[in-house]
Order: sequence, then structure tokens, then C-alpha cells
Amino acid sequence: MTFVLSRIRRLPSVQVTLAIALLVLGFLVAAQIAAEGPRVRYTTQERSPLIETALSLQSQQESLKAAIVEVRGHIAELEALDPNAADSLRRLYADLEQARLTAGLIPVQGPGVAFRLEDGTSGSVDALVSARDVQTLIEELWLAGAEGVGVNGERIVGGTAVIDIGGSILVNSAYLSGPYTVTAIGPPDLYERLQQSVAFAQFVHGRIEAAGVQLSVAELQQADLPAFAGTVGLRYGQPGEGQ
Amino acid sequence: MSEAVARRPNDARSLRSRLTLAAVAALLGLLAIGQLNGQAGVPGLSALSATELTQLIANLTSGNDQLRNELTELQGQEAHLTDTKQRGATTVDELSGDLDRIKAWSGVTAVTGQGIVITIQGPIGGDGVQDLLNELRNAGAEAITVDGVRVVTGIVVAGAPGELSVENHAIGDGFEIRAIGSPQILTGTLTRTGGVIAQVGNAYADARLTVTPLDSMTLPASDRTQAPVYAKPRL
Repeated sequence: MTFVLSRIRRLPSVQVTLAIALLVLGFLVAAQIAAEGPRVRYTTQERSPLIETALSLQSQQESLKAAIVEVRGHIAELEALDPNAADSLRRLYADLEQARLTAGLIPVQGPGVAFRLEDGTSGSVDALVSARDVQTLIEELWLAGAEGVGVNGERIVGGTAVIDIGGSILVNSAYLSGPYTVTAIGPPDLYERLQQSVAFAQFVHGRIEAAGVQLSVAELQQADLPAFAGTVGLRYGQPGEGQ
Repeated sequence: MSEAVARRPNDARSLRSRLTLAAVAALLGLLAIGQLNGQAGVPGLSALSATELTQLIANLTSGNDQLRNELTELQGQEAHLTDTKQRGATTVDELSGDLDRIKAWSGVTAVTGQGIVITIQGPIGGDGVQDLLNELRNAGAEAITVDGVRVVTGIVVAGAPGELSVENHAIGDGFEIRAIGSPQILTGTLTRTGGVIAQVGNAYADARLTVTPLDSMTLPASDRTQAPVYAKPRL
């Protein structure tokens, strides 16, 4: 043992560093090969074209949403307040801006909270975060007084559906995979209000803790929510009478 | 001079060692980045079955079609506004039309149209009603009411069976959910085998749920004050 140690001490430091670096390199090469395994497996199966199609559609969706937000911004600029406008037109401008803000068509910021929901490590199906979990958290935030909620960059509006798809979820038709960050803007005591909710306590103890799902929370002085980038309009309905 | 000559082989060896070390470090860096990228790429998709991928593709395709229509309409509106501005004309009609559309969509004004009514008789919990609302939204419902209360952003139906409420409005064991949208699509989605009506029916065995298409109905505006106090437009 003493002989080995003395041999190591006699080695130049460069050789020792090189040996350690090569050892790490070996681990990384092995990890890389192991990580490539599943990808190679599924690309040889029939799911490969489906995955490619889904990826392509996701990419199209992101481009379409970005384009919608951009055009809406340009429309808002074109409709922006004209200093020479008549009073009636000024009111119309203000109403339109307020309607857009209320409808979630404008990105907003304010005090809030952010929750992170992540699959548990037990490997059990129960420990996977489901659409129902995300939905419950959103509902509890609304009931506690949240003014706006977003999930992984998708703004939640009146028409938003959250549905399961495999181990992931669809929100506003956007495919989201965990971990899920549910961000809400509301009164500064939003989290305190939430903690006082019996239903929220039941959700945390009866579902999250019992199943081993991971939930963490951060109170934010300034939370950001994106604008809703989906369809705003009626196809089967039309504005009716009555406010 | 002789000392300098004697040091040269050592210098060369040191340079070689340093170069080797630099090359190994560069390779290490590249592999580490590759490893991180590999872990970050499309998480979840590879775990989906062929059926789930097909379902995802159907959802994405239909969502993208709607987004394309929305973008086309917005581009038309943008072109019209640009033209109107260039001609120096007022844009009252455009602004009013846009305002009406947004208000109706967000529940600030009433909406009239075809759709369905779900009649619920018997005790049901808030989670069951929320599941029905979620499925209606997924099927493209454009406006929804629960027991006459318009469901807008932030509205939640909560409570145990027999204690349901929405917006401080108590709901009895017999009530209706009305939704405007395609009657065929809404009915088909809700009532399919293993669909939400079957699931809620199983979870609340004493509740009876029926779905009926309607040619026309008017859903009222929401009473809720939706204007945000804490959320400010991001500049």
C-alpha cells in the first residue's frame, strides 16, 4: 500500500490530472451510449413517424402562437389612442384595452406564487402528476383569489381544457411535459389564503403526500404570465343581448 | 546555452501533455453538453404509446387548424386597419366589432347559439362538475353556464355532493349545464363509451346525467368583476 502511494506521489501532476479526466471521459461516453439506447430502439419501431409528426405539429403550433401574439400586438398598436380622436373613440380605445386585459390577451405581471408539480420517484402510477392534479391546483388558486394563472407558459382562460395524454398533459392544445410550473398572480396574501383552504389541505395531504408526488412553492414579488395565444372568437355562437 | 538546450525536450514533453489535456478537456465538454441536450430533448414523447401519439397528433392538428384560422382573421383585420389608417378614416366599426367579439368570448356579454344542455339529477361533487366543464372546453364549447351562472376565467364549481356552489350561489341536486358549440361534437365527446358522462356517472352512482342538443339558446353575461387589480400589463 505504502509502495503504491509512493509511486503515485512520484507521478507528475499532469499525468494524474489526465488519468482523472480520462476516467470522467469514460463515464460520460458510457452514459452517452446508454442514453442513445432508447432513442435507437424507438426510431426502429412504428412510433418513429408518429413522434416526428407530433414534433413537427408542436413546432408549427409554437410558430402559429408566436405569430398570433405578434399580429395582435400590431393590431393594438394600430388601434392605439389617437390624440386627436373624439371622446367616443377614446372611450372605445380604453374599453378595448380593458377587454383585452380582462380576457387574458395581454401579458401581465404582479405579486404571486409559483408551484412546481413533479412526478414522484417511487415509480408507482399514482406518483405521476395527472391533468386532474394540475386542474385541482388551478381551481384552488382561483378560489383563493388568483387573478391570472399560467402553466408552463400557457395562460389559463375560461375555455382552457387540461387533459391527460400518456404521462403528460395538453393545455390549450399545447403538449406540456413535467415538471409543471403553475404560476398565479393575485393578492399578496394569496398563498396564506390557499393554506387556509380545507380543500387545498386535503389535496396536499390526501393526494400529493400520500402518492409521493413532489410539490414545491415559491412566493414571488413579481410573477409573469404570458398572453393567451389561442382562438378568440365564436363560431357557433354570436354576441347576444344583455351585459 | 547548454542549459537551454537541455531544457528543450522537457519543454516539448510539457507542451505535449498540456495539449493532450486540453484535447481531453474539450472532448469532455462536448460530451457533457451532448449528455445534457440529450436529457432535455422532447421529454415525455418517447414514453407515449402509439395510441396516445395518435391522440396527441389529432389534438395538435385540430388546435393548429383553429390557430391558422385565427391568424388568417387577425391578418385580415390588421390589413384592413392599416388601410383605414392610411386613408385617415376612423376605425370605429373595426374597434366596436373587435370589442364585441372579445367581450362575448370572455363572458362579459351574453352569447346566443346552438349547443347542448346536460341535465343532472341527484347528488354530485364539485370535482364531477369540473370534469364535465373540462371536457366541454376540450370539445370546443364557446360559452358555458352552470345553473344559470356563466362560467368565465376563475369560476369554479366546488363543494361536496349536496353542498355545491358557484360564485356564492348554492346549487341543488337538480340543475343544468348549458354549453354553446357544435351539438354533434359536444354530444359525441361527452357520451362516447368510457367518456366523461360514463366516468362521472360511475363516480356518482346516484346522479343521473342526460345530454340533449338544442338549436338555440342564450347564455347570460357573467356578473363577476373580471378586471384585475394586482395583475398589470407587462411592458
